[in-house]
Amino acid sequence: MDLENLIKDTFTAHEPDAPDSDQVLAAARRRLDRKRAVVNLPLAAGAGVVLLVLAAVAVVALNRPAHDDQVATGAARTSGPPTVEAPVEAGIADLTMPFSLGWLPPGKADYLARRINTGGSAAEPDKPVYGGEYMLTVTSGRQVLLVDVQEMRTMPIEQASFKSGPGRPVTIGGRAGVESSHSGGPGGYEVYLTHPDGGSLYVNVAAQPGSTAAEQQLIDAGRRVAENVTFPGKTTVTPAFSLGKLPDGLRMCAFDVEKGPSGPRTGYSVGTCGTRPAIQVHSAESAQVSGTAGQPVQGHATRYLDENGYRTVWILKAVHGAPIAVAGSRPQEELYAVADHLVLPQ
Amino acid sequence: MVMADYEDFVRAHLPRLLRYATMLTGEREQAADLVQDVLVKAYRRWSRISDAEHPDRYVLRMVTNGYLSWRRSRSARLIAVGDAPDEARPDDFASDHAVREDMWQRLARLPRRQRAVVVLRYYEQLADADIADLLGCAQATVRAHARKALTTLRHGLDIDRMAQAKES
Repeated sequence: MDLENLIKDTFTAHEPDAPDSDQVLAAARRRLDRKRAVVNLPLAAGAGVVLLVLAAVAVVALNRPAHDDQVATGAARTSGPPTVEAPVEAGIADLTMPFSLGWLPPGKADYLARRINTGGSAAEPDKPVYGGEYMLTVTSGRQVLLVDVQEMRTMPIEQASFKSGPGRPVTIGGRAGVESSHSGGPGGYEVYLTHPDGGSLYVNVAAQPGSTAAEQQLIDAGRRVAENVTFPGKTTVTPAFSLGKLPDGLRMCAFDVEKGPSGPRTGYSVGTCGTRPAIQVHSAESAQVSGTAGQPVQGHATRYLDENGYRTVWILKAVHGAPIAVAGSRPQEELYAVADHLVLPQ
Repeated sequence: MVMADYEDFVRAHLPRLLRYATMLTGEREQAADLVQDVLVKAYRRWSRISDAEHPDRYVLRMVTNGYLSWRRSRSARLIAVGDAPDEARPDDFASDHAVREDMWQRLARLPRRQRAVVVLRYYEQLADADIADLLGCAQATVRAHARKALTTLRHGLDIDRMAQAKES
């Protein structure tokens, strides 16, 4: 038996592990049935819409403080409101999250912080709505908690749906919401709270599969996380590189900044934010690089690859020895225009 | 009408989606959770999905993206800090089951994108061009992921010894 056949056989042997369709469909129906109206998210085109604000005035907030019970929030590095212009070429711009976390369970936190265009609201379908999300893995000894805090700007709490069971009314920090707790279920503790700008804020605290946590611990942690969320956000995350000036008509639609054992990762989606992002810009691994030699970018060698119109510019040794990929079904010149203006670490 | 259309689609494709999610996550509950989330999201976006040229491919992409961006990233972190499993012992190759379980564990340790490529190529049996389209990357990237994954999976795996064990 060769390796590829062994892989196929292994997959086939595990087909019976798949969950039961009827049960999954029934669970999905229960979640949908709780919604009184269809939420149809028009993807918004946004000419003239305010650009995603990148503030560089607050400190990176997610690094765990020295003491386990301290607040993990962003304290302003300087006083005054965040600036509204993205600094260009002056350095790598910190990225502001739309809300801040004031408390996290004790332990070492790895995170993925993202801000993304989630579609237009019903009232203003042409205006993109940006939502933020923190996904954290908090490790304390042998216990690993998964914490997800997400803005759901187009979903009011009346449409809340839970992974494990029915919700019940709750008020946390003066905000109305619904919560559900099933420590043994896939949802752990979940709560939707009324968002001050419309929609809801979702908080989920669960034990990582293979780890355990008492139900009350999840409830206490989830409520405390929810209670200490603050709007608007002053928390910033530091990407490995910045976009800099973008070609006319393009703007940042989303970013992801991840910090974990595998190292920091940064990614951006660039486009009109009205349709699927046209260009992906992300840190990558050297083994992924392919293509022929391209024109240099900011003193870095590049590789260029065109596969049926999907083009990739690899900027070699761009971020601490690793490459950056600028890719999309866009003209070569546009990809290089984005690449030329990236703000790279010195 | 919209709901009926959605229901028909789900009934037709759900078993496949669940099997696919199981191969990606390697874990029944996570697969159910992942697909359930996708079903809810797909319902909200159904008018757009149903207009797509290949709605099934669209939803397959949603499952893949959900896996890459969320569940798997956490699993990967957990695996990264855990102890490396022992190498399979020769005795383990005495049965097909042991061989496959060893491979299942090896698959579980792959980086998320590599595992997705392996699942799409060897389970879904998609061409590299289709995988590239689904993952939003170049074909060369798909090939690179596959090459690295196969190298990792092959490491310490004695195919010949397996064959001998089966024959004896």
